[in-house]
Amino acid sequence: MSKRPVAPYISGAVGVVLIGLIVLFAFAKPGGGDIARSPLLGQPAPVVQSTSLNGPDFDLARRKGSWVVFNFFNSTCVPCRQEHPFLVQFTKDQAASANPAELYTIVNDDSDNAVTAFFDTNGGTWPIVRDDDGAISVAFGVAKVPETWIIDPDGFVRARIAGALTAGYLTEKLNELKSQYTGTES
Amino acid sequence: MKKLKSWPVWMLMGVIVVALLAVGATKDSGPRTQGDRIDAISKRLACPTCDGESVYVSRASAAEAIRTQVARDVASGKLTDNQIIAGIARTFNAQVLLVPRATGLDSLVWVLPIAALVCSVVGLAMAFRRWKRQNLGDASAQDIALVERLLAQDPTDDENV
Amino acid sequence: MFSAEGLAGPLGRGALLVGLIGAFFGMFAAISGTRNNDPKVMRLVPRFAVLMCVATVGAFTAMEWAMITRDFSLAYVQKVGSWSTPAIYNFTAVWSALEGSILLWVLVLTGLTVGIAVKYKTRLSDPMVGWALATMFFVSVFFFVLTLGPANPFAAGAPGVLDGPGPNPLLQNHILVMFHPPILYMGYVGMTVPFAFAIGALITGRVGEGWLVETRRWALFSWGLLTLGIILGSWWSYEVLGWSGVWAWDPVENASFIPWLTATAYIHSVLVQERRGMLRVWNLSLLVATFSLTILGTFLTRSGVLNSVHAFSDSDIGPFLLGFFALIVVVSVGLIGWRGDKLRAPGTIDSPVSREGAFLANNVIFSVFAFVVLLGTVFPLIVEALQNRQLVVGEPFFDQLAVPVGITLLFLMSIAPVLPWRKASGELLSQRLFWPAWGGIGALVLSLALGATGIEPLLTFMLGGFSGGAALRQLVLATRRQGWRGLVGRANGGMVVHLGVILIAVALAASNSFTHSQELNLKQGVPVSFGGHTFELVNFSEVVDARRTSISANVRIDGGQAYAPAVTKFKSMGQNIGTPSVRTSFIKDIYLTLEPPVKATSKSAKIKVFIKPMIMWLWIGGGLMGVGTLLAAFPGRRRRPTDPVSAPVPTEELV
Repeated sequence: MSKRPVAPYISGAVGVVLIGLIVLFAFAKPGGGDIARSPLLGQPAPVVQSTSLNGPDFDLARRKGSWVVFNFFNSTCVPCRQEHPFLVQFTKDQAASANPAELYTIVNDDSDNAVTAFFDTNGGTWPIVRDDDGAISVAFGVAKVPETWIIDPDGFVRARIAGALTAGYLTEKLNELKSQYTGTES
Repeated sequence: MKKLKSWPVWMLMGVIVVALLAVGATKDSGPRTQGDRIDAISKRLACPTCDGESVYVSRASAAEAIRTQVARDVASGKLTDNQIIAGIARTFNAQVLLVPRATGLDSLVWVLPIAALVCSVVGLAMAFRRWKRQNLGDASAQDIALVERLLAQDPTDDENV
Repeated sequence: MFSAEGLAGPLGRGALLVGLIGAFFGMFAAISGTRNNDPKVMRLVPRFAVLMCVATVGAFTAMEWAMITRDFSLAYVQKVGSWSTPAIYNFTAVWSALEGSILLWVLVLTGLTVGIAVKYKTRLSDPMVGWALATMFFVSVFFFVLTLGPANPFAAGAPGVLDGPGPNPLLQNHILVMFHPPILYMGYVGMTVPFAFAIGALITGRVGEGWLVETRRWALFSWGLLTLGIILGSWWSYEVLGWSGVWAWDPVENASFIPWLTATAYIHSVLVQERRGMLRVWNLSLLVATFSLTILGTFLTRSGVLNSVHAFSDSDIGPFLLGFFALIVVVSVGLIGWRGDKLRAPGTIDSPVSREGAFLANNVIFSVFAFVVLLGTVFPLIVEALQNRQLVVGEPFFDQLAVPVGITLLFLMSIAPVLPWRKASGELLSQRLFWPAWGGIGALVLSLALGATGIEPLLTFMLGGFSGGAALRQLVLATRRQGWRGLVGRANGGMVVHLGVILIAVALAASNSFTHSQELNLKQGVPVSFGGHTFELVNFSEVVDARRTSISANVRIDGGQAYAPAVTKFKSMGQNIGTPSVRTSFIKDIYLTLEPPVKATSKSAKIKVFIKPMIMWLWIGGGLMGVGTLLAAFPGRRRRPTDPVSAPVPTEELV
């Protein structure tokens, strides 16, 4: 009976595959990825009709003619709370600008009281739109709050910012979009 | 008793099994409730925020929202399960699909398991062939006859390991 | 006055340092004692093992003490401790996050090392024991380094913290957190012992069939504990997570399941080696694979490359675990390549239709399935690395592949127990399989009569009856011959385990295929019927304490007892945790969850009802697997090794 040495070959092959796997893991980025893409970019925004916590009912279709910013928010989410001062600053900047954008906070899966209390403490008087059944979040494909979306005066989705905002970023992004914008108005 | 355990009885058993399975497979399983449909669809969708959990499993708000949307679509009664899934995959990109597609690189996840199975079965078959050849090669015809006779005699054939 | 505050940190760190030193010297002593064949040095080895274990017990006690006294000078206590956590969940909080769970790992590992050192203290001069102990010490050194470096449970926290958030709300909701993680860890970490002996065999280049029996028993115990841990985990998931399921193919679940699969392959194929002296290298490879998969699984789930509901917070532990995994792979693959041919057995397997043929088929299925689960778990990483694109591989993928695997295994479990070693004749099979086969047909008829439909569940039920019949046949024959002793020993205990597996397979098939669910909008005092039962909202009750606000809806089922699914908001987390309520019985469970929006003042509630058949049998099957493992570990009655196989089994006790 011949006994050819096979163990070195088999274990060598297994070893090569495993080393490949290890190299792959070594370079794998921990979690996350670029989720700021969306199939909605450049498309007409989904229908958004809902009630508001602190004002009249909201209908996106009636907001045509101005830039609209949606901020998807939850009072229990830490990054949402952290980015809040930048949103307050953003509304101040917009009030001073020529063609002010309208900011709306959209709230899913949170209690009215908690949201109102948060805004009372931390400032911000812009409209807060309810999304109790999650229809707006799903229509936009919001994965994880906070997310901020920019819609142009013709009702087309122009930008999606996933995750917390940094100081001044929203204003900068909006100005950039405004300068590119060649809609029916201008 | 001995007669009972003969081949015709086994054939009969086979026929019974096939017939019963055919009956069971074609029988109507009764109406699916809307809840069952929602469950079936949400099991095929990934919760976009929770890395690997399905919408069915997850209690995250994004999953809750998608589940509500599925419930609305199911209640409207106009769309098939696949259409509802396609609709949600459109807004969220394909990363909410829990079943990998069978095209491109993704198909590897389907091909490799089958390849692994085929390789091991072929490997095993080759090993058996080699063993058989070895056995016959080493033993003389007399040896083989001896072993066969002893095997046939062995009364316990060792059920108790 | 003397204050204990702040002492736990230095004490714990000191203890771990002592443990590391003990492990290091233990490894050194084991290696040099074995190489120089020096019994004086070898006698030191058990002492180092005890030192290292005592130090770890000290560190663990310090951690519990810090947790119980709420010593917020430690970062770990700041992370998982809280004044408002009840005592029992505060006790379990020690292993509710990464650092503490590594500490638990070290505790189990050092305990096992002492176990080996004590058990084999008369045989320390055997190089196999020496190398196995050296391996145990080496693994311990690595884990001590983890607890002193990237996963330090005694790291000092920010000053001035007076209270913390407590453990994850999901981990302070059910008593099973007391049992599931430690038992799972004992099984998981227990796989280190057979690995250590495998390395010993490879280094010494001798298989020592006597050692095999010992290794098999260690592996069997670890396997049993791992099984129990996995089942308790499913039970916890069922009772706590509120989606009425037991298994979600989550990366963390897979991380414990993949080594379980390879270990299951091992405890079967090792019988071929014991009996026929074959498959030695394959068995060693399975042990090595099992241990390295526990490390790989820990890496995948604790380093943040894959996220899951169990996700532990990010830490720098990833590179350490990956490096360790790479080292294990290189060393073991190298050893197998170097020694493999020397260890190979000359024998052959005569026929595929034989006991050893069935074990080989079993091994093919278990290894391929382990590969499939591993592939599905890491596939998102592969796609992301190659195409920079996110992809999810989830439950439907695994389910689709698990169903044919399960059915094939049930079929094997029907045939294999009646197969003789070496070779089987058709006549013999026909004799032995006759009644089990009728058992299968009976099960099929019964399930059709009860209204089951669909090819997959029906096949499962039929093969469940068939394989159950085969297992019972073996047990009946054995007990008829030997009385109660017919239940112990690996073959008979193994059949009890098989019965447990069959119950689980049948319960899973029934509950997955025939669950019905519906969301019911219940108004107070108005019964609504669904699935042959009526549900009536009685009232809401609300419990508010320092820790949480809990609202439960009392729902009366069939006019009888009220069940109370709840939603709990933990103050520290602001996260809603649903708690299901289950009416359980041998036939079916009625599983209720309270769905949002929930208002205690409301007169109506949205209740989701799941009617799930046979879930109870899952836990019974799990218990049976545990019992069967114990029975199998008992030495059964065997022939004296020198007797011919045709000799009768002696009636005297023979161990």
